[in-house]
Amino acid sequence: MSAQATATIRALSETRGDTRVRGRIRPVVFYSVLIPVFVLAGIAAVAIGSTSLEWSMIARVLAWKTLPAGWVDVGVITRADEAIVWLIRLPRVLVAAIVGAGLATAGVMMQGLFRNPLAEPSLTGVGPGAVLGAVAVFVTGWGASSVLALPLASIATALLALLVVYGIATRGGTTPMTTLLLAGIAVGAFLTAISSLLISINIVTWQAAQEIVFWMMGGLDSRTWAHVWLSLPFVLVGFIAALLQSHTLDLMLLGEETAASLGVEVEPAKRLLVVTSAILTGASVAVAGLVGFVGLVVPHAVRLLLGPAHRSLLPASALTGATFVILCDLIARTVRPPAEIRLGVVTALCGAPLFLLLLMRRLKEEEEA
Amino acid sequence: MLLQAHDVGWQLGEVRILQRVNFTVEPGEFVALMGRNGAGKSSLLDLIAGLRRPTDGALSFDDRPLEYWSADDLARSISHLPQMVRADVAISAEELVLMGRYPHAMGWSESDDDRQAARLAMTRCGCFEFRDRRLSSLSGGERQRVLLAACLAQEPRLLLLDEPATFLDIDQQLQCFTMLREEAARGVACIAVTHDLNLALTFCSRLVVLAGKTVAADIPVTTAAEDTTWLSLFSPRLVVSRTPSGHPWVSYA
Repeated sequence: MSAQATATIRALSETRGDTRVRGRIRPVVFYSVLIPVFVLAGIAAVAIGSTSLEWSMIARVLAWKTLPAGWVDVGVITRADEAIVWLIRLPRVLVAAIVGAGLATAGVMMQGLFRNPLAEPSLTGVGPGAVLGAVAVFVTGWGASSVLALPLASIATALLALLVVYGIATRGGTTPMTTLLLAGIAVGAFLTAISSLLISINIVTWQAAQEIVFWMMGGLDSRTWAHVWLSLPFVLVGFIAALLQSHTLDLMLLGEETAASLGVEVEPAKRLLVVTSAILTGASVAVAGLVGFVGLVVPHAVRLLLGPAHRSLLPASALTGATFVILCDLIARTVRPPAEIRLGVVTALCGAPLFLLLLMRRLKEEEEA
Repeated sequence: MLLQAHDVGWQLGEVRILQRVNFTVEPGEFVALMGRNGAGKSSLLDLIAGLRRPTDGALSFDDRPLEYWSADDLARSISHLPQMVRADVAISAEELVLMGRYPHAMGWSESDDDRQAARLAMTRCGCFEFRDRRLSSLSGGERQRVLLAACLAQEPRLLLLDEPATFLDIDQQLQCFTMLREEAARGVACIAVTHDLNLALTFCSRLVVLAGKTVAADIPVTTAAEDTTWLSLFSPRLVVSRTPSGHPWVSYA
């Protein structure tokens, strides 16, 4: 590099400071708003409910449970306080955060991989697969034997469905994304039909039918630490795997051939991405049922604000998804107590208008450009 | 020898696209790859870029068969500007050029050197001023310059360019080919597909013409005015003469 060129670059770089891509905001601004909102939403979700709790009591219980013995004065904490904070509300909030982060991360990956704005986590047969597993558990009554039977069955059938879809779409070692998408839709429709068939021929009681329908609407009622420990490892591993593939995801935006000429081994990369996204989705659906719109709307919103580079898009979407589901779940259980609205209903009621709003903004931008 | 093609052939289903293609490219050469529509120019570039495997024969880069190269290593040595790139993404011009650094980027994020290289490439391709604009908002010519900058930022030893001058106005075409000639002078081998005979004669060092599914002519530009059989491969209505400065120049009869 000639000295003159270097000097030119330096001069140009110095003028750069205040320029940025139109319509985007800085990551610093994004996180300095979102992190406080996330924390406040989490605290509020533990504090608010049929029994209102003082924030100081929440802090006291959390400190007692996490700090070494003797540091906190246990005397003022009643058994009821302990149970509400530690056994009922905290695990529920944590599951909400895990599910939101998992679905949003999976959504980012699917939209990037399919380069399709409509792509969402349960494509590739994963969603209907998870439903079938859950329905099977309800129908056979295995759910009574263990609280984990339902989540384990649905994550297993989700991955199995993906395997079938991927197998069908692969010819001679390559998997065209359009074929994968279509195979996912076809297999998904078939699996959904089987679920409906099982429900219609087997369910005798209204109560069982209602349980299934409720599960399909998503919900976080009576979630325990077992659900946290079941979903957290999958979502954590999936998220880290996604983050490690952010360069690959960036390059895939330019098309498979360009990605290949920039060093991506396209077919192995696609397999890894699809499996990672299925693990994230499967684990989320397993503990929360079908929660729609999180994996669709959150990535779009964050991409509009921060741009499509996955290194920043993935963590920002995960945090936004977590916050969104915590807030939606809070709404779901406080609007009409003591009954709960289903979580999936709230995410759709909030998510669909938000999605339309984003769409309007994008149309307006395109008109201006 | 940087690149060697030995009896390379490629067949797509029942259709034979290329057969018995033989040539070598040394560092510092600027090769114009030419031929009529459907002659197999883009296919040959794809084979060299490692995007497809030849069905016959062998390609080697750096005296090592292409199939022994990992995608990563190849991406650090060969850069490929395809005819079409998806442009409907919301990334900015600078983000795209930085992607050219990904094969070199160690670990999590790009270093300052990577950013420096990306910006230098953008300045050289005359697209630094729209670094913050979205790719989708750029005109065809502006976008082409950004893509070219991404290829340069890759700092390859072999540049493969499929019609790099498409969408460029005449001045930009001249700047583009001047820049490629500079790259060649620095020891980078360039192979550019082009339909513009005079652009090729003015800037390139060698002409490789594909016809009849194989290399029909392979001559240095210096002899292009004397031996004119290569010209009839394009059209019978072409004549070659010399400009006052002594350059071969093709005109229409």
